[in-house]
Amino acid sequence: MLEFAVSAPFDPAAPLLAEQVNANFPWLSLSIFFPIVGALLVPFIPDQGDGKQVRWFALGIALVTFLITVAAYLNGYDPSVSELQLSERVSWLPDIGLTWAVGADGLSMPLILLTSFITALAVLAAWPVTFKPKLFFFLILAMDGGQIAVFAVQDMLLFFLAWELELLPVYLLLAIWGGKKRQYAATKFIIYTAGSSLFILLAALAMGFFGGGTPNFEYTVLAQKGFGAGFQLLCYAGLLIAFGVKLPIVPLHTWLPDAHGEATAPVHMLLAGILLKMGGYALMRFNAELLPEAHAQFAPLLIVLGVVNIIYAALTSFAQRNLKRKIAYSSISHMGFVLIGIGSFSALGTSGAMLQMVSHGLIGASLFFLVGATYDRTHTLQLDEMGGIGQKMRIMFALWTVCALASLALPGMSGFVSELMIFAGFVTDEAFTLPFRIVIAGLAAIGVILTPVYLLSMLREIFFGKENAELVSHTKLVDAEPREVYIISALLVPIIGIGLYPRLMTDTYSASIDALVKRDVAAMQNLSKPSAPQIRNTKLSPALILAPKLPMQQLQGS
Amino acid sequence: MPSAADLAWLIPVLPLFGAVATGLALISFNSTINRLRKPVAVFLLTCVGAAAVLSYAVLAEQLAGAPVVEHLFIWASAGDFSLPMGYVVDPLGAVMLALVTTIALLVMVYSHGYMAHDKGYVRFFTYLALFSSSMLGLIISPNLLEIYVFWELVGMCSYLLVGFWYDREGAAHAAQKAFVVNRVGDFGLLLGILGLFWATGSFDFQGIADGLAAAISTGSVPGWAALLLCLLVFMGPMAKSAQFPLHVWLPDAMEGPTPISALIHAATMVAAGVFLVARLEPLYSQFPIVGLVIAVVGTITCFLGASIALTQMDLKKGLAYSTVSQLGYMMLAMGCGAPVAGMFHLVTHAFFKAMLFLCSGSVIHAMEDVVGHEPILAQDMRLMGGLRKKMPITSITFLIGCIAISGIPPLAGFWSKDEILGQAFISFPLLWFVGFLTAGMTAFYMFRLYFLTFEGEFRGEDKAMQAELMAAANKDTDEEHPHHAGVLHESPWSMTMPLAVLAVPSVLIGLLGTPWNSRFAALLNPEEAMEMAEKFSWGEFLPLAGASVAISASGISVAVLAYYLHRIDLSQLIAARFPTINAFFANKWYLDAINERLFVRGSRKLAREVLEVDAKVVDGVVNLTGLLTLGSGEGLKYFETGRAQFYALIVFGGVIALVMLFGVLGNPLA
Repeated sequence: MLEFAVSAPFDPAAPLLAEQVNANFPWLSLSIFFPIVGALLVPFIPDQGDGKQVRWFALGIALVTFLITVAAYLNGYDPSVSELQLSERVSWLPDIGLTWAVGADGLSMPLILLTSFITALAVLAAWPVTFKPKLFFFLILAMDGGQIAVFAVQDMLLFFLAWELELLPVYLLLAIWGGKKRQYAATKFIIYTAGSSLFILLAALAMGFFGGGTPNFEYTVLAQKGFGAGFQLLCYAGLLIAFGVKLPIVPLHTWLPDAHGEATAPVHMLLAGILLKMGGYALMRFNAELLPEAHAQFAPLLIVLGVVNIIYAALTSFAQRNLKRKIAYSSISHMGFVLIGIGSFSALGTSGAMLQMVSHGLIGASLFFLVGATYDRTHTLQLDEMGGIGQKMRIMFALWTVCALASLALPGMSGFVSELMIFAGFVTDEAFTLPFRIVIAGLAAIGVILTPVYLLSMLREIFFGKENAELVSHTKLVDAEPREVYIISALLVPIIGIGLYPRLMTDTYSASIDALVKRDVAAMQNLSKPSAPQIRNTKLSPALILAPKLPMQQLQGS
Repeated sequence: MPSAADLAWLIPVLPLFGAVATGLALISFNSTINRLRKPVAVFLLTCVGAAAVLSYAVLAEQLAGAPVVEHLFIWASAGDFSLPMGYVVDPLGAVMLALVTTIALLVMVYSHGYMAHDKGYVRFFTYLALFSSSMLGLIISPNLLEIYVFWELVGMCSYLLVGFWYDREGAAHAAQKAFVVNRVGDFGLLLGILGLFWATGSFDFQGIADGLAAAISTGSVPGWAALLLCLLVFMGPMAKSAQFPLHVWLPDAMEGPTPISALIHAATMVAAGVFLVARLEPLYSQFPIVGLVIAVVGTITCFLGASIALTQMDLKKGLAYSTVSQLGYMMLAMGCGAPVAGMFHLVTHAFFKAMLFLCSGSVIHAMEDVVGHEPILAQDMRLMGGLRKKMPITSITFLIGCIAISGIPPLAGFWSKDEILGQAFISFPLLWFVGFLTAGMTAFYMFRLYFLTFEGEFRGEDKAMQAELMAAANKDTDEEHPHHAGVLHESPWSMTMPLAVLAVPSVLIGLLGTPWNSRFAALLNPEEAMEMAEKFSWGEFLPLAGASVAISASGISVAVLAYYLHRIDLSQLIAARFPTINAFFANKWYLDAINERLFVRGSRKLAREVLEVDAKVVDGVVNLTGLLTLGSGEGLKYFETGRAQFYALIVFGGVIALVMLFGVLGNPLA
C-alpha cells in the first residue's frame, strides 16, 4: 500500500505561511500596472480607425507583459519554496485594513503566466477586429492587468475589487462585439457573476473582522485565524456559490453557453482560457486553504458535483448543434475534473486539478480560436450547415484534429496527464471510503467515453464526408493563414511539452500544493478525532442538506 | 560500445522523428512537400528501416541470451507519488519489435505502389511512420501506464488512418466507431490500471502481480475486488484485439486504405491486446477464473468471426472477420495459460494475414481499373473471378496464405494453431471442440474467398450486377467516377515484392515452433520449451494434429466442390433450408443493429433530452421564464408530457442516490 502524505496534527496556534520572500523588484505590481497603463495610452495612438496601428501597440504591450511575468518567474520565484514569494506590501488604507499586498506561490504563479500568455495570443487573434478597435484593445489590455491582479493579490478585499473590476471589460466586450443575442448574454453574465460575488464580499468582511481588533484581509493573516467550524461552513457555502458560478458548477452554469456562444474569438479565448480558472483558483485559495475544516466536510459534495459536471455537460455538448455552444459545454465538462481534484485531499489529485486548469486554459483557448477562425470562413456555427469542408481547408482540418485530440485527453498532451493525475490521486488516496471511490471513479470515467463521442462527431460533421454544396456555393473556404497556424502552434508547444514531460509544469507549483494538502489533511484528521463526535456526525450533512431537494417535489408532481 | 538493447529507445524515436519532421513540413509547406513524394518516402523508409535494423540487433542479442535491460526515469511526481517511465527489452518485446518493423517496412514499400495516385501520399506515409513509432513504443513499455499511453496513441493513428479518405461518409463513421469502441475498452483498462495501482502501489507488471498476491494474502484487498480489477484490465485487450462483443469496430475499419488494414488491423495493432495479456501473464496466472473468462471470450470470438466470414461477399470484410476469428484463437491460448502458444500464433498470423490483406489490396487495385474507385464494386467478389491468369503472383501468394491459415502442414498456421488447440484440449475440452470446428470453417471460407476471386470466369464487366450492388448499398449508379474500362493487370513490383517476401515466413516460420523442438518457446520461456520437448510424444500429437488436418481438409473439399467444381449448390443446400441461421450469420449476428439501436440512438436521445432539460428547466428556472411559460400554458404542454420532470428527476435523482448511498454505506470520508 502506498503511503500518502500524512502530516502532523493541525495546530491552529502555530504560524502557518508566516514566512514570505520579499521581492527584490516589484515584478508583480509591474505586471499588473504595465498593461493597465498601456491600455490608458491606447486613445493617444494615432490610428485611422481600422485598428492597423493600435493592434501592433496592443500586441507589444501584451508581449512585454508576458515577458515581465516570465522575468518574475525566472528571477524572483523559486519553485521549491511553498511559501509566498515575490511579495510586496504597501499599507494602503490602514483604517479599514486594506493593504496593497501582492505575491505569488504555486497556486498563483502558473495562472499568472497562463494569463499573460493567453492574452498575448488573444491580441494576435483579434487582428481582424475593425469595429471600434481602440476600445476593443483598451478593454483587452485592461483585462490583462485585472486578471493578473486576481491571481497575484494577497488580500481578500483587493481580490474582491479585482474580481469585480474584471467583470466590466468582459461585459463591454460581450455587449459590443458579441453575436446576435449579445445584450442578453452580457446581461446574464453580469447578473450572474456580480450577484454571486456579493458572497465574496460578505465572506471577506466576515473573515476580515473575525476575532475583533483591526480588520485585516491578508491571506496569510486569515490563514492563522482559528475560524470556528460553523463559521467556516457558512463562509464556505457562500464562497462555493460565488466561485461555482465562475467555474462553473452545474446547475449554476447557464450563463456560460450564452456568454461563450455570443463572444468573438479573442474574447472567447480569454473567457475559456482565464476566466474559468479564476473560479478554480479561488476555490483552492479560499475554500481549501483558508477554510480547511469546512473543506473536509464539503469535499464529498465537491466530488459529486464534479462528476455531475463531467457527465451532464458532456451529454449536453453531444446534443448541441451550435459549434460554439458545443465547445462551451465541453469546457464545463472538463472543469468537473478540477472539482474532483480539489476535493480529492491528495497531493496528486490537487496537483492534477491545477494542471487541468492550465491545460484546459491552453486547449480551450485553442479550440475557441479555431471556432472563430472557422466561423470567419463558413459564416455559420450550425453543424447542419457545414460538412466536408476538410477538402478545401486541409491545414485547418489538421489543426482542429490535433486540438480535439488534445481535448479528449490523448496521451502525449497535457489533458491526459492532468486527468490521469486526478483519477490516480482520487482513487489511491484513503481519504474516502472504498465504495465511494469506486462509484465516483466509474462515473467520472464515463466522461472518458463521452468526450470522444461528442468531439469526434463534431469533427466528422464539420470536415468529413461530401462537401456541403450550399455552403461551398456562397462562401469562400480559404485555408488557414500563417497567423492562425502560428497561434495554434504557440498553444500546442506547452500542451505537448507538458504532455511529454509534465514535471515542466508540476514542479513549478508542487511545493505549494503539497503544503495546501497537508493542511487540509491535518484538518480532516482533526475532524476525525473522537473528541469531537458532534462534528463527526455532521460530517455528511452538508451534502445531504445542500443536495437538491427537487426530486422530492418532482416525485410528488409527476 | 553500448549493446543494441541500450539503444532500444531509438527504435520508436526514429520513426517518430521522421513523422514529426514530415508532419511539420506538411503544415508549413504543404504544396512543396506534397510534390516531394519520393524523397519523403525514402526518408521515412530510412527511419523505419534503421529501427528495423536495430530491432534485429536486439533480437539477435536476446537469442544469444542477453539479459533483460530496463531503463527508467521519473516522469511525473506529486507528493509521495512518482511515476517512472522508460523502456524494457526482453525476449517477448524483441520478437514483437522485429515483427512490427518488418511488416511496417514491407507495408511502406507496398504503399508506394498502392497509393501512387493518391493525393494524400505524403500524409499517408507520415501517418504510417507515426503509427510505427507508437506501436514500437507500446512494445518496449515497462509498465501498464506507459502501455496505456501508447495504447491510446496507436488508437489515434488507427483513427487517422481509417478516416484517411475523409471525403467518404463510410470512412468518417468507421473511424469514429473505431475510436469510440476502443475508448469503451480503455475505460475498463484505465479503471483497472488505477485500481491495481491502488491495490499494489505499482504500475510495473511483475510488481502488480506480486503486490496483488501479497495484498490478497494479507486481506487488504478482497478477492472479488482483485478479480474485478483483472477483468476490467481485460476490457482493454477485448476492444483492441476485437474480442466479442467489442469486435464491431474492426470490420468497419476496413474503410481505410488496404495497406493499413494489413499493417494495423491484421498484423500489429490488433495484436496489441494479445500482447498485453501476455505481458500480464504473471498477474492473470493467479486467477483461474480470469483465465476461463479469457478463454471463453476468445472461443466465442473465434466462432463468431468464422461464422460471419462464411457469408461475406466483400473480400476485405471476409478477411477482417477471419482476423477477428484468429484473434479469438490467440485469446483462447492466453486463457488456457499458454501465452507462448498464443504469441506464436500472433507471429505466424501476422505474416500470413498481412500477406493476404496485401493480396486483397493488389486485387482491389486491379479491380479499380475496371469498375472505378468505388469500394462497393471494387471489393465485391461477385464481380471478381478468374483473376489468377492475370495476376499470377498475387494469386499464388494468396493461395499460400489460404493454406497457411487453414492449418495444412508444414505451413506456418498449422504449427501455431495446432499448439493452441492442443493446449485447449488439455485445459477446456469443450472449448477445444468449438475451436476445432472453427478450424474447418476457416479452411472453408478461406478457400471460398480464393475460388471466388481467382478462379472461374471474370465477372467484372457485368453491368447488371454492378447496378444491383450499388442499389443494395443505396448509392446512385451516377458515375461521378467514370469507368476506366481498363484491363486487369498484375500490380507493380513495389506491391508484388512485399507479397513474395511475406510468403517466405508464411511457409517456413512455423518450423521454428515444432512441438518437439520449439525454438520460439526456447526464446520466450526456456523452461516451458524443455518441458514441451520432454513431454512430447507422437502418440498424443498425431491424433490431434491428424484431426485438425482432417477437418481443414474437409473444409477445403467442400469449398472445392461448391466454388470450383460447382458440384454442390450451398445456397440451395443450406441457405435455403435454414434461412434463419443464414440470415443470422449474414447480418453479423445482428450485433451492429443492436449496437445502433441501443447505444448510438440511445445516447443521442438521452443527450438531446438532457439538453432540453438544461435549456428549459435549469436555465428556465434562473431566467424566471419557467414561471412565465408555465403561466402561458406553453410550458404546461411541455410538462404534461412528463418528459422534463422525468429527465430532471434522473439527473438530480442520480445525485441524491449517490449521496444517500454513501449515507447508508457510511461516511465517504474514511
